[in-house]
Amino acid sequence: MWSFYIEQLIHSLPFFLKGLWMTIAVSGLSLLAGTVIGFIWGILRASRSRFVKPLIGAWVDVVRGTPFLVQVFIIFFLLPEFGIQLEAFPAAVIALSNLAACFICEIVAAGIQAVPAGQREAATSTGLNGVQQLRYVILPQSMRIILPPLVGQFVLLIKDSSVVSAIGVMDVTRVGWLTVQRVPQGLLVFGLVAVLYFVICYPLIRISNSLEKRMSAGVTQNKM
Amino acid sequence: MIEFRDVHKWFGELHVLKGINLKVDPAEVLVVCGPSGSGKSTLIRCINRLEPIQKGALIVDTMKVHESKTNMTRLRAEIGFVFQQFNLYPHMTALQNVTLAPMKVRKTSKKVAEEQGRYVLEKVGLGDKLNQYPAQLSGGQQQRVAIARGLCMRPKIMLFDEPTSALDPEMINEVLEVMRNLAREGMTMIVVTHEMGFAREVSHRVAFMDYGELIEIAPPEEFFSRPKSERTKLFLSKILTH
Repeated sequence: MWSFYIEQLIHSLPFFLKGLWMTIAVSGLSLLAGTVIGFIWGILRASRSRFVKPLIGAWVDVVRGTPFLVQVFIIFFLLPEFGIQLEAFPAAVIALSNLAACFICEIVAAGIQAVPAGQREAATSTGLNGVQQLRYVILPQSMRIILPPLVGQFVLLIKDSSVVSAIGVMDVTRVGWLTVQRVPQGLLVFGLVAVLYFVICYPLIRISNSLEKRMSAGVTQNKM
Repeated sequence: MIEFRDVHKWFGELHVLKGINLKVDPAEVLVVCGPSGSGKSTLIRCINRLEPIQKGALIVDTMKVHESKTNMTRLRAEIGFVFQQFNLYPHMTALQNVTLAPMKVRKTSKKVAEEQGRYVLEKVGLGDKLNQYPAQLSGGQQQRVAIARGLCMRPKIMLFDEPTSALDPEMINEVLEVMRNLAREGMTMIVVTHEMGFAREVSHRVAFMDYGELIEIAPPEEFFSRPKSERTKLFLSKILTH
């Protein structure tokens, strides 16, 4: 019996690989966009701007305080009510990019704020302007603090991408749903789905761990 | 060179500078002392607007620091500032620390900036530490790099905020020596410090601050031998006896 199911599963392997590719596409695009936007928001959030800062803060709170599934539904089902029609794929990328941006924004802002105030004062007193201070003094130091949790966040977001299967994006999770209707062996099917996610995430987990070690070693060594 | 006219500063409710009037001439060395919390650090931090003032006028080298439209970036390039905690950039070598601002603010070429950086680091006695990171340097060496970082901008004024307070005693002198040389070369300096030996020997005037007020200001021989105010006498008796 088992060998039969396994054979069936092997038959649907191309289908799974397509799903895997879709997961990689949605996550990859979203992580890219989310990282860029997240850095911009994070920098603004750590700045002294009176208007933008609370605005971003409020948005991040809303996004962090609502289920991702609901956000995906809002973008996919509710925006058309206002005349914005989106295919499942762009809707998924937008939703996941936004989620990524919000989490990354917090990581970046925390990393910037963790740099001692004296660094900014020293840079200010030598005449560097705000952008130069950020670029040459603050961000290089923040990156040690930002990178490990950032890569860790990537892993979480890749796993969160499974939620977009709910609006019909043909990612690995959705492929699993469809396959399990033909191959009624949930353990086997979703075991395979899990393995495929793990294959993408595991290298990132290793990277995050090694960054953590290297960065914290660097910090103690460079303590003034 | 630097002129305070009835300068007031508040931190929220706290009145930290209560009507400061002070004039510092070019090439003058002024030492500011006083108990902690007296506002002496705030006083010099106002000069390059690390702290904005709320009332009064503050003029530095003809520029009006109290006016918000004044281009502070330009003025700050003319004022070196040395912090108690050094605040060197930990991710840069000594040479990179001192060449960053000349290259980015003054747009000096890397080659010229490094030449000048090497010269200034040699001047503070660190010619052999160019490529060391701050973490590899002692406190006294770090503070000398910090002074060099200020000097590399060829400033007209150098401000020192308790430059030796975070140092082990055996390292204090190497930093003071660099400052003595600077004073001899005619740099305009305001030094917040409790190093009374330095004040007596190097400064032109010594100022005493307490509770946000400038209590007394006089040439060192007069300041130390014939202090007018009771508060100054009390302060001096405390720090000179130990």
